Amino acid sequence: MANVEAAAAAQSAVDEDLVEQAYEALDGGTPAAPGKHEQTKWQKWKDNFKRKGWILIFILPALIYVIIFCYVPMYGILVAFQDYMPGDQIIGSNTVWVGWNNFNTFFSNPNFWDYFVNTFLLCILGFIVGFPLPIIVALLLNSVRPKKVKKGLQILYYAPHFISLVVLVGMMKFLFGSEGLLDNLSKTLGGGGIDLFLKAEAFRPLFIFSGNWQDFGWSAIIYLAALSGVDPALHEAAKVDGASRFRRIFSVDLPAILPTIVMLMILSVGNLMSCGYEKVLLMQTNGNLETSEILSTYVYNFGLIGGQYGVGTAAGLFNSVINVVLLIIANFTSKKLSGNSMW
Amino acid sequence: MKKAIIGITVAVLWFVCVIAFAVASADSGTSEHQFTVLTVKEDAVKDYNTMPVFKELAEDTGIEVHWTYNTSAQYSNNIDPVAIKGIDAIYHSGFSNLKLYDYGRRGRIVAIDEYVDKCMPNFKKILDSRPDIREALKSPDGHIYSLPRVEEMGLKAYPNILYLNKAWVEKLIDANDLPKGVNLTKDQLKDGLDISRDDFKAILEKFNEKDFAGGGKTVPLAFVSGNWQGNESDLIASFGVPENREHKTIVDGKVTFTFENEAWFEAVKELADWYSRGLIRSSAFTQTDNDFLARGQDGRYGAFYWWEKDTVVAKDKRDDYIIVLPLKNSDGSRYVGVSNELEVEKGECVILDSCGDKEGLLSYFDKFFEPEYSAQLNYGSVKSGAFLSEKVGGKLIPNDDHGIQSADDFRMKNAPYGVVYLTKEVWDNSVEMESRAKLRLENLENYVKPYTYTGVTSIPNLNYTQEELVMLNTYESSLSNNVASWFTGAITGGSVPTKDSWQNLLNTNRTSIDTVLRINQTAYDRYLAAIA
Repeated sequence: MANVEAAAAAQSAVDEDLVEQAYEALDGGTPAAPGKHEQTKWQKWKDNFKRKGWILIFILPALIYVIIFCYVPMYGILVAFQDYMPGDQIIGSNTVWVGWNNFNTFFSNPNFWDYFVNTFLLCILGFIVGFPLPIIVALLLNSVRPKKVKKGLQILYYAPHFISLVVLVGMMKFLFGSEGLLDNLSKTLGGGGIDLFLKAEAFRPLFIFSGNWQDFGWSAIIYLAALSGVDPALHEAAKVDGASRFRRIFSVDLPAILPTIVMLMILSVGNLMSCGYEKVLLMQTNGNLETSEILSTYVYNFGLIGGQYGVGTAAGLFNSVINVVLLIIANFTSKKLSGNSMW
Repeated sequence: MKKAIIGITVAVLWFVCVIAFAVASADSGTSEHQFTVLTVKEDAVKDYNTMPVFKELAEDTGIEVHWTYNTSAQYSNNIDPVAIKGIDAIYHSGFSNLKLYDYGRRGRIVAIDEYVDKCMPNFKKILDSRPDIREALKSPDGHIYSLPRVEEMGLKAYPNILYLNKAWVEKLIDANDLPKGVNLTKDQLKDGLDISRDDFKAILEKFNEKDFAGGGKTVPLAFVSGNWQGNESDLIASFGVPENREHKTIVDGKVTFTFENEAWFEAVKELADWYSRGLIRSSAFTQTDNDFLARGQDGRYGAFYWWEKDTVVAKDKRDDYIIVLPLKNSDGSRYVGVSNELEVEKGECVILDSCGDKEGLLSYFDKFFEPEYSAQLNYGSVKSGAFLSEKVGGKLIPNDDHGIQSADDFRMKNAPYGVVYLTKEVWDNSVEMESRAKLRLENLENYVKPYTYTGVTSIPNLNYTQEELVMLNTYESSLSNNVASWFTGAITGGSVPTKDSWQNLLNTNRTSIDTVLRINQTAYDRYLAAIA
């Protein structure tokens, strides 16, 4: 099997060469000028910019987008340190600064730890179930030989992605809610009726499995794309070496998409503490509050509905800080362990 | 050439857009009216500008008000409605205490109390004669930032009446199948049925067993948990605790939480038993009031809590239901709790600081407090047929005949609601109550009110200092979350709730409970001192 792995490594080496060649071609193939190595870094940069600067225009729209919609609004986190209401200036003469008061209010909430743990559990469990699933599905789909079956299955898997959240939760209520399928079935069979929406312990499974049911096919697409880049020659070589189908998945396909997997994993770890509040709110009942009240629903209820914008922002900021820390840890660990990282 | 044409077209389009935008934004600022007031109303409600009552007001005061609209969906999406350009006031603003205070102390809405002496004779009279209303309207800084809605009919404190499906009981009597120990004759089956909780439970079990609605659709006892009306509070109150939906009430001048009472725990235990027997369905804890009303129309409820039966059950099934007296406890006592729904509501109308002539606009709104205007605002104009055109004995007489329209529909379309002042004095002297309201009151007087616990009262609209508000915000929301979650879990969890878990609920929330009670008590004492 070592042959196959070596071949995979060789393939990626070849790929890198190709890329370098392509860049060389873009350079216009300028011949190495004598004394080039004496150029200062700054000169080199200037030189490069003159020749290839126009390429930067392509990233300009994305850059502008990110600046306008991601960086500029960030000054809004200042609200976390203010007694703020809409219409106030964020920095101005009438701004009421309150220091860490909003954080104090947030942390002194008797339920703070419950909300924190709920958020963490909901997200981490969702991650544990939801992260490997699309990879497995992509690998399996990739091994399906008849093209039509493969395409058909793929469409079947990602179609639920297009159902809106409200409709999805409505469907779940029809299935598992009061007077729903399960409830009626249990009553018909002589039971007392089951309403999973009232059960605190059923909230996480319902949330996670419905979410994954909806999105595993969609998330698999990116892996499928990565898989389509695997050189068939590698598979053929492996076949010649007598590798079974299963073995080939492990030794050819998986290493080929590993960088993609790692990248996506780092990204999702960075989002670990932020599961969207919309679906949680839709699924929330008094019966499942024990597990369904999470930080983001708290921000919504307390900050937006209750009009405590400062406290809401403080809670949101706290959440983001945790996410950034997680992201850095994930990136660092992956760099150490596998050499793949975002920066 | 082609390129040039495309270029010119784009340029022209761009120019047109810019001009259109400029014109549009310039236009919104100008108007011919003295005042523009934003109101929150649904599309089905008639245009305020065409309502006779407002025309009358304009003639009476010489002040022209132009009404603009937001639907409640639009309005609730706007996090800063006070910033809307070109309006002088917001009617139906719905601002909470906190929001009124926040806007008020920033000077973005007008402190109305500063104008009362100058231009608001009616409002002044109210504030002077009713210190409780004055207290209720104050913000933490002592100012009044909104005009109130006062509709005192004595209805809201008792939001639950228990109705029982008489037709089904009759079926049981006919089949000689009444539960053991329950003695009921058909003659007894009329409004005001006197029955013990245990007998009631036995009857519900029969309903469940016989499935009278057919196809498993029978709901033995229906309510909407936590809703402001038609909730389970009075079922719990029958165990000897003055319950309401906030679990908070005043007993002999002391603010108390009902869930600290052992009788409350016993009630939850019993309700869990009812739930496990299928007498209460899970829908009671998940449905909205609209779900509840829709499901009840075809008469599938064995019994239900609501204010009146007309909205719950379709016309042909209405006679099937009778009013049951509050259920008799095992010791023979019979009680109902008192809700904290207030008849004085704040935040009904706010005046923006940008209003050019505050005195003028306030003198206009002051007219709203006059009985005849209040009545017309609340039910519809005389000219639109809400009242008879001839007064009887100096009183406006409501017109019950709206043709094919139901009374609810008529009122929904024709009445702007909002700022009104309708008190006992007004009902006695100037306006006759609607017959529906009278019936409701009569039912409450006969079958519910006499069973109020002695010494139990609603919590009035209390005033908190800013510090207290922050504390309340921190503790009350988490406390009510925890109690609601335990309560629902205990009843629907499928096992008998243990005393330990209840004690545990109290112990883990001890700080919150004590803090909230302390703040409420201080505020209540202040309130008593202020109105004394």
